[in-house]
Amino acid sequence: MSRQMGDSHRRFLQTMMANGIVDEQGARTLYQYCCETHNTQHAPDKLDDFIDAINSNLQPMFMQIRKGMSEDNGHQFYALVNMTETVVTRMSSDYADNELELFRKTMDLIVVSENGTASSTDVLNSADTLTTKKLKKSETEHLLNRLVHDKWLCENRGEYTLSTRCIIEMEPYIRAMYQEQIKVCHICHNIAFQCQICENSTCGIKIHNPCVARYFKGRAEPRCPACEDFWPHEIPEVRRPQSQSRR
Amino acid sequence: MQRAKAGGDEEATRQNGSAGRRKGQQQQSDGDDGDCDLGAADMQDEDNDPGLRREIRSKYRDLINSVQQNREDMLRPSNNKLTEVLEEANKLFKDVRQAREAALDAQLLVVATDLGKEKASQLFSEGTAFDPTAFAEHLLSFMGLNRLEDGEDEQQNGGAAGGYLPQDAWHRVARRAECCFRSAPAFHYMMGSFHAEPPPPKQKIERQRKAPSKEAKRIMPTQLKRMEGSHQEATEKEVERILGYLKSYYQDDPTSPISYYEFVIDPKSFSRTVENIFHTSFLVRDGLARMYLDSAKLPCIAPVEEGEVEAGGSISRKQCIVSISPKTWKELIDAFDITDTMIPLPNTD
Amino acid sequence: MSQRKRLSNTQSSSQSKRQSGASAAQEENDDTTFTQPSTSQVQRGMQKLTPAQVDQKTAEVVQYFLVKDQKKIPVRRADLVKHVVKEYRTIYPEIMKRASRTFDQVFGLKMIEIDAKNHMYILINKLEPGDGASPIKSPTNPKMGLLFVILSVIFMKGGVVRENLIWNTLKKLRVDPGEKHEEFGDIKKVVADEFVRQRYLEYVRIPHTEPVEHEFRWGQRADVEISKTKILEFMGQLHEQDPQSWSQQYREAHSVSGSTQPGSSSR
Repeated sequence: MSRQMGDSHRRFLQTMMANGIVDEQGARTLYQYCCETHNTQHAPDKLDDFIDAINSNLQPMFMQIRKGMSEDNGHQFYALVNMTETVVTRMSSDYADNELELFRKTMDLIVVSENGTASSTDVLNSADTLTTKKLKKSETEHLLNRLVHDKWLCENRGEYTLSTRCIIEMEPYIRAMYQEQIKVCHICHNIAFQCQICENSTCGIKIHNPCVARYFKGRAEPRCPACEDFWPHEIPEVRRPQSQSRR
Repeated sequence: MQRAKAGGDEEATRQNGSAGRRKGQQQQSDGDDGDCDLGAADMQDEDNDPGLRREIRSKYRDLINSVQQNREDMLRPSNNKLTEVLEEANKLFKDVRQAREAALDAQLLVVATDLGKEKASQLFSEGTAFDPTAFAEHLLSFMGLNRLEDGEDEQQNGGAAGGYLPQDAWHRVARRAECCFRSAPAFHYMMGSFHAEPPPPKQKIERQRKAPSKEAKRIMPTQLKRMEGSHQEATEKEVERILGYLKSYYQDDPTSPISYYEFVIDPKSFSRTVENIFHTSFLVRDGLARMYLDSAKLPCIAPVEEGEVEAGGSISRKQCIVSISPKTWKELIDAFDITDTMIPLPNTD
Repeated sequence: MSQRKRLSNTQSSSQSKRQSGASAAQEENDDTTFTQPSTSQVQRGMQKLTPAQVDQKTAEVVQYFLVKDQKKIPVRRADLVKHVVKEYRTIYPEIMKRASRTFDQVFGLKMIEIDAKNHMYILINKLEPGDGASPIKSPTNPKMGLLFVILSVIFMKGGVVRENLIWNTLKKLRVDPGEKHEEFGDIKKVVADEFVRQRYLEYVRIPHTEPVEHEFRWGQRADVEISKTKILEFMGQLHEQDPQSWSQQYREAHSVSGSTQPGSSSR
């Protein structure tokens, strides 16, 4: 049964709509801000409860505020996601059909790649194979910038990766559509795109970089948690969320 | 026509406090008189000169345009452009002969009247008048305009300052405007905006070809060569090699059982372990080794001695499938406390 | 009801057979053929449906509004019925009531009919901007800055302005309608087309003008979405002047704010 919402919940939801994704620290301060604005009780450890109340009301519309981890720094994020595909959801007007096709091709490239990236050259080339309506190179570049701006892709030195927002929303879709190709992280069991891979050919497990950092922290000799082979990759540092000053 | 002109004239006069137009009319009638004095033929000439006619029409159009384009500047209280335009129009009217020219004159008058009306309404409206030019000027400062050192531009541009705006200029305005709007935030999503269908199968094949990591690629071909190229030779050789180890361990101490797991597991390599299990299975299949459970129900392995071989064949033959995962492999290493492999890697010849 | 539907279907198909090029007229017809069902019709319709079916349809209507609001395009009743409500048209009023309640109670938004003649709806925000700054800065759309400037000029000039005033003001702000702007692209298209479709602006031809001239007014969306009081506050801040010194505008802003604009800020 859905739980009663107040203006504080509504304000929180509206901010999620405007931003799409908010990091955990941001969500905490936003929760406090929304409660203070509407003079409602704020219990710092009850953020997930607060969000659950919103989610129970969003459920009939197949929307949800979902938590997930950034593959980049390992921090937790909250994203507002759509969970269904219907005639109505397909009317979404943010991107044209051929633009969506290019996005899917980019996703294909990223999913089948070893390290969860697609080079801009490969994406640009795949624009030639569009079946809906061709995109010029300049249009494709502009589209890629928009996808980065809208927080669906990330770009770093000409390599595109799926953004945290995209992974959080698309995870069920990707699991269903790319069953054979995807691998989950051995540590956190979520899909792994950007990760380290065990070099033992019969093992080959994947671990997210931040999970690698956490798992191997303080271990003298890094060994694969599955096959015990030596873990030959560089172990990244654990990155803590910058604590923001609370107001 | 004349009446309409007079009406517009009055508006303009009241507005500008100038008698320019009236004076012009005076001149105009003077001019008319003068024309009458001239011979008919002369008049005909001037009236029909296409060049002159065109010039007059063009000048009218310029005037109309200038009023339309500079409307805002002309509306400013300090601006006297309207008077100038009307004076100019009076001069032109002197030479108006044809209906087309007269029509343009009328059109200019409509535009000028309208402007005059608005200027007048500004005077009569209470409170401060809104000046779009001043507004634009203030807004440029708000947007963070970097004004250029010399102010020459300012005069030329009808009051608009020179200089360049920062990148986020319009974002600043938008941010400030936010509180004036009661806009609903929009919900954007990617999942569900397109029809879900699995990616084309061709990519799956590509994936299989591409799948092994760099390390795996290095290992796989040699393994494959060994399997294919040798036609069992390599396998047989390896099986024999393993049998050699089994026998030597047995001979070292025939009374103590050899643990199957301790024998096959390579604690440093899961893949070597799998290979060992594979090869050892040939020993059992061919009756060169036997497996049994010890008192603790743990599997043990021992070589079959020469004499036993035939007899063994007739006794009981059982099949079993040994499966091992990296996880159980790890657990076994812990359980049996295996630190070294009993089957060293073959010497690379 | 199914009989009625079939009837209207055959009608329209025979019509389209005869003249296929009359798409615009067809569209107009769509809405006029939809007659608001009576209370008893709705009651009877509700009895034939399960609560889950009604909930599902309500959710679709909510989604449709959200999708249209991505680009701030008003929802036309005719489109809503044609693309979403479909065979549930007999209970249309009930579905709209529920969708409106969802927007109110879950999203803090309000569904408003901005055009009673053409039956157009938009969503506006029920929540006032918070007193303190939100810790999460939502991304800004520079186009809203552009729109704000245009609406401000129209309001300050008494509600209607010739297009040249807008183009000239924008030119002073380094936005030349004759050139492609790096942030906004084709300015004329954004202002005279996009903002108009969103119903932020009205762009009408002034009769008897040669060359053709247009004038701008506030659109129906602007009337319900934008606070004149707050525009005037900004004007005061910008010109370092008391907002009350624009007495006409001040009076207008405050006469309107009593009815449709809730509590203007008193900061």
